[in-house]
Amino acid sequence: MTESMAPGADRLTIRDIDLEVVRRGSGRTIVFLHGFHTLEPGAPFLELLSRRASVLAPSHPGFGSSARPEDFETVYDLVHLYRELIDSLPDGKITLIGASFGGWLAAEIAASCPHRLERLVLVNPLGIKVSGRETPDILDIFNTHPDVVRRLSWHRPERSAPDFDALSDAALTRHARNRDALCLYGWEPYMYNPRLKRWLGRIALPTLVLWGASDGVVTPAYGRAYAALIPGARFELIEGAGHHPELEQPDLLAKRILGFLDP
Amino acid sequence: MDAWWMCEVPYPQVPKAVLDEADSVRASLPNRYCDPRIAADLFEEAIDEYLLCDEMGLNVCATEHHAGVNSLLGANPMLVGILARQTRKARILSLGTLVSLRREPVRVAEEYATADVISRGRLELGFVKSGGTEMASANANPINNIERYWEAIDLIAKALAHQDGPFSWEGKHFTHRHVNIWPRPWQKQLRMWAATGDPHTAAEVGRRGMVHTLVLRGAEGTRRAYAAYRNARAHAGLPPASSDNFAYSAFVCVGDTEEEGRRVGEKLLWFLNTSLKSAPQYSRLLPGVAPPHVAGQAWRSRPKAPADGPDLVNAEKGVATASENARKLVSITVEEAMAQGILFAGNPDGVFARIKQFHDDVGGFGHLTMIGRTGFMTHAESEKSIRLFGKEVLPRLRQIEPVTAALA
Repeated sequence: MTESMAPGADRLTIRDIDLEVVRRGSGRTIVFLHGFHTLEPGAPFLELLSRRASVLAPSHPGFGSSARPEDFETVYDLVHLYRELIDSLPDGKITLIGASFGGWLAAEIAASCPHRLERLVLVNPLGIKVSGRETPDILDIFNTHPDVVRRLSWHRPERSAPDFDALSDAALTRHARNRDALCLYGWEPYMYNPRLKRWLGRIALPTLVLWGASDGVVTPAYGRAYAALIPGARFELIEGAGHHPELEQPDLLAKRILGFLDP
Repeated sequence: MDAWWMCEVPYPQVPKAVLDEADSVRASLPNRYCDPRIAADLFEEAIDEYLLCDEMGLNVCATEHHAGVNSLLGANPMLVGILARQTRKARILSLGTLVSLRREPVRVAEEYATADVISRGRLELGFVKSGGTEMASANANPINNIERYWEAIDLIAKALAHQDGPFSWEGKHFTHRHVNIWPRPWQKQLRMWAATGDPHTAAEVGRRGMVHTLVLRGAEGTRRAYAAYRNARAHAGLPPASSDNFAYSAFVCVGDTEEEGRRVGEKLLWFLNTSLKSAPQYSRLLPGVAPPHVAGQAWRSRPKAPADGPDLVNAEKGVATASENARKLVSITVEEAMAQGILFAGNPDGVFARIKQFHDDVGGFGHLTMIGRTGFMTHAESEKSIRLFGKEVLPRLRQIEPVTAALA
C-alpha cells in the first residue's frame, strides 16, 4: 500500500498514456508487471532486485496514479502497451517478471513477442483456464466476502494483509482505483484469456514459474499445470507466501529470481 | 397526475433465522428457500391485483430484480406480456428489464414490441441502471455498467423505431449486423422512462426528455435530481419540461381510517428493514459503486459517518452501505418514513393531502409510481388499498394539472 505519488515514484509516457513508474538500480533490465497491488518505490522486493539490475515497474493504466484513457480497457490494450514499452527500451535483452494479473500479461507478451526478452519469471500468474467448466480456478475476489478473500490471499493474513484502518485516505483511494481497474480488465472471462493456453507453447525462453505455497486465490496445482504448458519451464514453490509473494516473502522471492538470472 | 401500481412480488416467507444468519438476502441466498408453490400463489395474487388496478383506473408498472427475497421478477418482460394480454385499459410501464445486464438489446426490443402489439399500444418503456447484487447475479461488469445502459437504450430505441429493413449496429458493447424486428411496435414512438437519483445520469435523462423517476428519495433528493434534469435541458437549449416528465416512487397504503392506513402501511417497510440486506462485496465494496476517493473509505472497518441521511436511491438497487442500512433503514419508523415522503399512508383524505404536499414541495410531478404491496402485506389488504385509492384518491390526483416549474 502506498501513498499517492509516493516519494521516488517517477513518470513514464507511452503514446498518450501517462504512467506512474518505479525505476531503480542499474545493470541488466528487469521489467516488473504487478498484480492486484502496485508496489511502492521503496518496496523491499524492488530494492533487492535493483541491487543487481535496472528495475522498471510501471503501474498499469487505472492503477495507482497511472492514467487510463477512456477507450483503454482490455488485456489486449495492456499487452500492446507493454510491448511498446519493451520496444522503447535501450538495446539488450530484458527479463520480464509478472505477478498474478501481471503474470498473465507477461505470459501474453512472451507468447506473442519474445524477441526482446531474455528470461521470463511468472509469480502466481493468472490468465488461463485449467479445470472443468464448473470448477473455478481463480478465487472470485469481487463476488466473495472480503474476509474470505483476505484469508485466502496471504500465508499469514494477520501479519501480511493490509490494515485498512491504518491506511491514509490517499492510500485507500489508490486501493479503490486498483480494484476498479482490475475489475474492468479481468471481470469476464474472469482473469483468463480462453485463447492463451494454446499459445503458451510458443514461449521459447528460459522460464521460471514461482508460486506462493499457501496461495488460496489460485493453487499451486494450477501453477504446475501452467508451467507444464511452457516448454522447459521450471516450477518452484515459495514457502510462507500466499498469492502475493512479492509482498509477503520479498527476500525469498528476490533470491530465487536472482539465482535464476545468474545461475 | 397519473398513478401507477407496482408490486415487486417479494418472497418474504423465508424463515427469519435464515435471513438473520445470511450476510445477504440477495444474490447468494440459496433458492431452496423459495418454494415454487408459494411463488405461484404470490404471482397469482400480484397479477390479480394488477387486474383490479386496471378495473379501478390505475396504470400498472412492473420492475425487475434478480435472485433475492426482495423480488421474484427476474424476467420482467414475461410479466409485462401477461399484463399486455390480461389488462384492458391500463397503460403498462416496464420499469424495466435491466438492459445493462442483458446481452442482446435487440431481443429486448422484440419482447417490448411484442408486448406493445398485444396490448394494442399501451406499453411504456422504463430503464433502470441496476447495480449491487445484480452485477454478481448477471455476471455484469460493474465498471462500465452505465456505458452499456445508454448504448442498450439507444439500440433498443432504434430497433423499435426503424422500419426500413435491416440496419447494422457496431457499438462499443453491442454488435448486431442485421436488425429488423417483427412485429414492429403498435406505437410509433414509445414513451421512455428512467429511474435514477444521481445528478449525472439525471442530466442525460433530461437531455433525452425521458420521464424521470425518483425512487424513495425524499423531498430534498428529489428536488435536486429534478433540478439536474431541468438544468441539463436548459444548458442544452431544449424547451423546459413540464411536471409530466417527472415521476416519484414511494410506498402507498390507503385504509378506511388514518390508523388502518398507517398500520397496514407499516408492513411495506419490510422492503427497507429486511430486503436490502446485502453483503459488502455486493454493495459498498463493489468496484465502480463510487468514485475511488469515496469508495476507498468503505474499506475502513469504522467508516466515517456520512454527512447526510441514507442514500435511498442506491438502497433501492442494493448498493447502500451496510452501515447506512444498519443505522437508518432497518430501524426506520412509520413516522419517519411518512415525514420523509417515503411512505404515503392513511385514510383517503390523508393520503391525498400528503401526496399533494410532497408534489408541491418538490416542484411537481406528473406520475406517482406506487409501491403498493411488499413484505407481508396480504392480498386482501392490497386489494382494499387499491380500491380505496382508485375510488377516493386517484380522482383528486387526476385534477392536479401539469406545471412547468422555474429553474432552481
